[in-house]
Amino acid sequence: MSLFAGVSGGAADAASGGGTGRALLELTPHKMAVCQLVQVFAPPAQAGGDVVPPFPFESLAHHNRLGLFLFTLTRSCEDFLEPPLEEFLRQLKAVDNLANGWFCEQLTSSLSALNSPDDLFNFFDKLRGVLTAPEGASAEDVFLDPNSQLGVFLRCCILAFNSMTFEGVCHLLADLVMYCNSTDASYDLAEDEGFNSEMGNLMDADIDSQVGIFDKFHQGYASERHMGESSSALTRAPTSTYDFDDANIFKADDNPTCLRSRWQLEAYLNQQADILEKDPGSVPLNSFNATMTQLQTLAPELHRVQFLQYLNALCHDDYVASLDNLHRYFDYSAGMQGLFGRSVSQVQDIVVGKYESALLCLGNLHCYFGHPKKALEAFAEAVRVSQMNNDDSCLAYVLGAISNLLSKIGISNTVGIISSPYSLGTNIGLGTPLSIQQQLLVLLKRSLKRADALKLPSLLSFDHLSLAKFDLKHVQRPLVSFGPNASTKLRTCPADVIKNLRLGSRVLTDFGADVLSTSNDNGSFSTSWLRNLSAASDSWRRSSKNTKKLHINDFDNFHYHAQPSPVPAPILQLAGSAYLLRATAWEHYGSAPMVRMNALVYATCFADAARWEFHSELSLAYVKLIQQLAVFKGYSAAFCALKLAEKKFPSSTSLHIQLLGMQILHERALHRGHLKVAQQICDEFGVLSSSVSGVDIELKTEFSVRRARTLLAAKQFSQAAAVASSLFSTCYKYNMQVENASILLLLAEIHKKSDNAVLALPYALASQSFCKSFNLDLLEASATLTLAELWLALGSSHAKKALSLVYQSLPMILGHGGLELRTRAHIILAKCHLSDPKFSVLEDPEAVLDPLNQATEDLQALEYHEMAAEAYYLKAMAYNHLGKLDEREEAAARFKDHVTALENPQNEEDSLAY
Amino acid sequence: MAYAKETYRAELRAAARQLGERCLYSAAKWAAELLVGVEPDASPVPSAAMDTPSSSSATSAGRLLHLHRSGGSSFRHRPRPGGGTSSEAGTPLGGVSYVSTPIPDDDAFDSGGDKYLLAKTYFDCREYRRAAHVLQKQVGRKAVFLRCYALYMAGEKRKEAEMIELEGSLGKSNAVNQELVALEKELSTHRRTGSIDSFGLYLYGIVLRDKGCEDLARMILVESVNSYPWNWSAWSELQSLCTSSDILNNLNLKNNWMKDFFLASAYLELKMHEEALKRYERLMGVFRCSGYIQAQIATVQYSMRDLDEAEMKFEDLLRTDPFRVDSMDIYSNLLYAKESLTALSFLAHRVFLTDKYHPESCCIIANYYSLKGQHEKSVLYFQRALKLNRKYLSAWTLMGHEYVELKNTPAAIDAYRRAVDINPRDFRAWYGLGQIYEMMGMPFYALHYFRKSSYLQPNDARLWIAMAQCYESDPLQMIEEAIKCYERAANSNDTEGIALHRLAKLHGMLGQSEEAAFYYKKDLERMEVEERQGQNFVEALLFLAKHYKSIGRFEEAEHYCTRLLDYTGPEKENAKNMLQGIKRLQSGFPSMDTDHFAL
Repeated sequence: MSLFAGVSGGAADAASGGGTGRALLELTPHKMAVCQLVQVFAPPAQAGGDVVPPFPFESLAHHNRLGLFLFTLTRSCEDFLEPPLEEFLRQLKAVDNLANGWFCEQLTSSLSALNSPDDLFNFFDKLRGVLTAPEGASAEDVFLDPNSQLGVFLRCCILAFNSMTFEGVCHLLADLVMYCNSTDASYDLAEDEGFNSEMGNLMDADIDSQVGIFDKFHQGYASERHMGESSSALTRAPTSTYDFDDANIFKADDNPTCLRSRWQLEAYLNQQADILEKDPGSVPLNSFNATMTQLQTLAPELHRVQFLQYLNALCHDDYVASLDNLHRYFDYSAGMQGLFGRSVSQVQDIVVGKYESALLCLGNLHCYFGHPKKALEAFAEAVRVSQMNNDDSCLAYVLGAISNLLSKIGISNTVGIISSPYSLGTNIGLGTPLSIQQQLLVLLKRSLKRADALKLPSLLSFDHLSLAKFDLKHVQRPLVSFGPNASTKLRTCPADVIKNLRLGSRVLTDFGADVLSTSNDNGSFSTSWLRNLSAASDSWRRSSKNTKKLHINDFDNFHYHAQPSPVPAPILQLAGSAYLLRATAWEHYGSAPMVRMNALVYATCFADAARWEFHSELSLAYVKLIQQLAVFKGYSAAFCALKLAEKKFPSSTSLHIQLLGMQILHERALHRGHLKVAQQICDEFGVLSSSVSGVDIELKTEFSVRRARTLLAAKQFSQAAAVASSLFSTCYKYNMQVENASILLLLAEIHKKSDNAVLALPYALASQSFCKSFNLDLLEASATLTLAELWLALGSSHAKKALSLVYQSLPMILGHGGLELRTRAHIILAKCHLSDPKFSVLEDPEAVLDPLNQATEDLQALEYHEMAAEAYYLKAMAYNHLGKLDEREEAAARFKDHVTALENPQNEEDSLAY
Repeated sequence: MAYAKETYRAELRAAARQLGERCLYSAAKWAAELLVGVEPDASPVPSAAMDTPSSSSATSAGRLLHLHRSGGSSFRHRPRPGGGTSSEAGTPLGGVSYVSTPIPDDDAFDSGGDKYLLAKTYFDCREYRRAAHVLQKQVGRKAVFLRCYALYMAGEKRKEAEMIELEGSLGKSNAVNQELVALEKELSTHRRTGSIDSFGLYLYGIVLRDKGCEDLARMILVESVNSYPWNWSAWSELQSLCTSSDILNNLNLKNNWMKDFFLASAYLELKMHEEALKRYERLMGVFRCSGYIQAQIATVQYSMRDLDEAEMKFEDLLRTDPFRVDSMDIYSNLLYAKESLTALSFLAHRVFLTDKYHPESCCIIANYYSLKGQHEKSVLYFQRALKLNRKYLSAWTLMGHEYVELKNTPAAIDAYRRAVDINPRDFRAWYGLGQIYEMMGMPFYALHYFRKSSYLQPNDARLWIAMAQCYESDPLQMIEEAIKCYERAANSNDTEGIALHRLAKLHGMLGQSEEAAFYYKKDLERMEVEERQGQNFVEALLFLAKHYKSIGRFEEAEHYCTRLLDYTGPEKENAKNMLQGIKRLQSGFPSMDTDHFAL
């Protein structure tokens, strides 16, 4: 689902354009009402040069106010459903109460006076008078410019009327009568009839419950800052009194509502889609479907409704229904309206459709239901089709989905899933099947080339990022290596990664002004303005009662609550994820300051941009920062930060934060020696991942690692070794070499702890070589430390060698290592000295005591009993040698404290709380 | 035997008159046709004292109604009397006892008899509002019914006009019958007070159906047909509301003989062909001359792909009823399938002269153009048919086919999808959707549609083969799934014999030579029966020869090799070599060379 968030948020650029060759607007009673008001605003025959505003207006400001109102009305005239007269009058009152309801009265009386087709003819004839300048008019005269917004609107209306057939005129008249008579019944009565009484009651109940839910939703997220796009702008304006909910679409209830334009309907659908994605539990399956069906009868051309039905079924785990709705949606809309364009263009010329996005969605569906193989088939087909149709944005998403899928699920090397000869194999001209990773690489590189050639900044940046991600974890072997000249360097190339990352984040600078200008004006402004008008007019009216400040320029009331962000969200998102990826890369390469820096950059610079959809990324940045805190500052600091983060991201919505909490708790429990708690948390990890094999690989890996470590702490070496080695074979199967480096190290650790240094040695060495080839510097230092320990364990004669190993790794560890690694290094250093037969404490006490002091200091924060006990033990030994008895006793006492704490764990329950 | 033929006649005669008096033309027509269809006794048929709606206005009014009522998938079949068959005496329907329903006697004119007469003439002239106005203050059941019915028809007429005024294209439109609300209110009051007859109930049912209250509509219609079973329009409305066999089985119907007609037609619609055929054949025993039953039987046979038999039936039908248009589109489909251009053109010409603006006629002409390969014209005529009846299911599907031919995939998808949305049980449209997506290079996506179609029509080998070909296609390469599909196809009477051959080949590719040999052998047998020879035949022989040789059954191997010798080409040489190898092996000289030859 998170993947789809990207999809729906993305490609605002695709939505640009369109809407040029529209048909002339359709005349409705509402438009006639607007026309009537325009006539009041600019009455004909105002020759004479009086600058005073015409009759009903008290002041110029008042006049302008009506003008603004009309301007907005005409801007949002591309309506889907228009408000009934009653509601329109209510809106009008905001402008009207200066004229004591004159407008409303005038409007209703003139509209209801239209009783025959001939009246209509006269009405439009009179309108024409508004546009023509009277005889002898000078430039200062007040008359309507035919090329202004209002003028064009009037002309459109007149033209529409003139080109109408007599039948059309009759229809308009009938509609007008209905419009004027609709005092409390809904204007559009077709759908009111459609439901007989019991059904209607049922619907009402459902809608009521839904309204409740929406209220909750609004309260919960009202504080969210929002930028930009229509959906959030329209529906999450925090100060608005009137919630835009679906009940209003169907029933004219007591709440006055804003214009329900096509945009608002779209926005409504988008909002519903967002809710479905973020919090599917809050949407009841059946009533939502009923609402959607009703909407569909109202708007048969609005196929997005079917998409929402698909989403709804998906969220409620209804496989069959979601599949059906998906296919239906794309059958109808793929030819005309792509998934990515959020606007419905009226131009319905038949073009090659967006069938590739259908496949993308199908793939996501299968992903969601845990059918990775089917998902991959769908994605592979999507790649083929989007290449065929030159749909690069879709291609990008498909590739993203594939790499996401490949990282989430495991596909063993032997199965050639995307090995379809059409997509890849033949182009390389080799008969040998490629591994999944190689295929992914080829796909990415080709996509990159294409994006570069076509100047698609966002796809380019996406590809760079994906390549960086790929380079980070995979050794690039040349696909063809013949002969002696082909030298293969089996190492990853950090320079490549960083290069790609830099290129990837250049998207912001590449994003030129030309793209900016095409950001589509989708009418959200006008509608939001109207909303604010109705919201503001209330307060304005209230204030006007108390203080008679009537001539204030009330423009302040029209603050737009949603300014569009100058840079579209998807671009920002890409730029932001470059920083996140940088943090991850440095995490791998082992540079703590760089990790912190990049995560901080993201958290500070992109937190604003990180809209609702991108919360998971923001939470990831937080996770990285808190992890760093835990490693460098100890648990209490980390938990403080975690609490803050949890406030920001409720754990129900952010899996990242939830996992982080569990991770830190587990670490602390292990350190404190609270094995039961550790086991419990470990089990929770196991539950989180899906039971389908090959899915949630990362989570499963973490679970196994933690299980092995728990077993190790419980001194069940053989079991721990079994878990670790089975994990190793899984990771090997799924080609997860980076993980293997740490697993090998864990295996070495297990064997070391079980006093089997000889057995541990090959593991440690293997781990070291893995680290070298993947440039995992910090992990390599850690492996070197383990090696040193192993040499020490082999006998005191190897102390010298161990010492040199420790010295070798010390710069890296002291520069970038966390608390635990540093203390380990210090302790091992002391141990090396102590076990070296040629070394005498008396000669150089500082060489031992300094590191030990440092270690004990660091361990305070870490609450690591086992290591602390070891450090104090060594300290006591050293003091003993030096003959400092007091210090020795003190160290021994501390040693005893830690040992008892380790052996008799107390307050285990505390470990679960933070 | 519970029912004598004269009883049928008496009932139908009364029904035709009563229905005609209430201006329920198509039902009256149906009853009258059936009346003539009852097998003649020794004595000639007494002339029925009823007025067959013969005026042009009445027929077209009936069609207008029919346009709205056939909410289901297909068109009703209202045959004209089919006389002139000199068949032998029919056997009575055995073992079935029907509940006889007394014929209501309502001929007594109430006070407003004259006004009723006037209203009926207005109605006949399609001046519906005038008819309703005349009957405004009448309280007799008959008058109330006719007034409501006239109002309904007026609303429908206005709705039709509005649809064209408001949109005009083939898309959806929100025009509604403005009278529905008032009618529902009035009819439900009448029902509550018990002052409603079965005709009123029928009207109430269709009003409810139009308003979307299908369950209630079904209940009301059942009530109507139970009290007055001879109203075929009510039955067919009821049938269009029975979209699954579960619904059908849960109807609480009285066991009148009309129920048999209903069930048979419903079974046909639900693709339960065997049951439908059984019932129709039994009904044929009584209504031996009924063109309707004959057409229905032919339709069933066509659906069961019994083309020759069905063609004969249709030809027969046309001979006796040359100006028939109903269900002739099925006949044209049949001719299309048999690719008999001349017959199709003849049929098209005939229906064109009979009634050009009949959806079925347009469909037949479109079929003709399609067979001629003039797909643009074909689409034009399908569009015309759809303009005449927007819910004409098979026209949507066939138009989809034409768009496929024109390579206009989005339009084709749209057409098919509309067909599927009108009737989700239309396997042809699902199949068409699958085909299109496969053509577009999306075999995986297409699988969904093929799965749907084969679920609806599990015994159709073509569907399974299409699905298998998807699985087999280059991008997917899912051989095992393909094999499963081909197996299904082979088990369900695959006339073209694709499945067996592909099965053998695929098994061979997977190295399962035992299975491959089994299927090759079967394929060989099939080809022998059909006396077909060709590359596949040679291939099968060659494989079998090699296979039997490799497992050491030399006699069989020799048999196949000698048969191969009849053919020219490299296979012959191959067979010769193999024969030599076999000889050598049999004579007990195990030599290395034989292997060389064997391969």
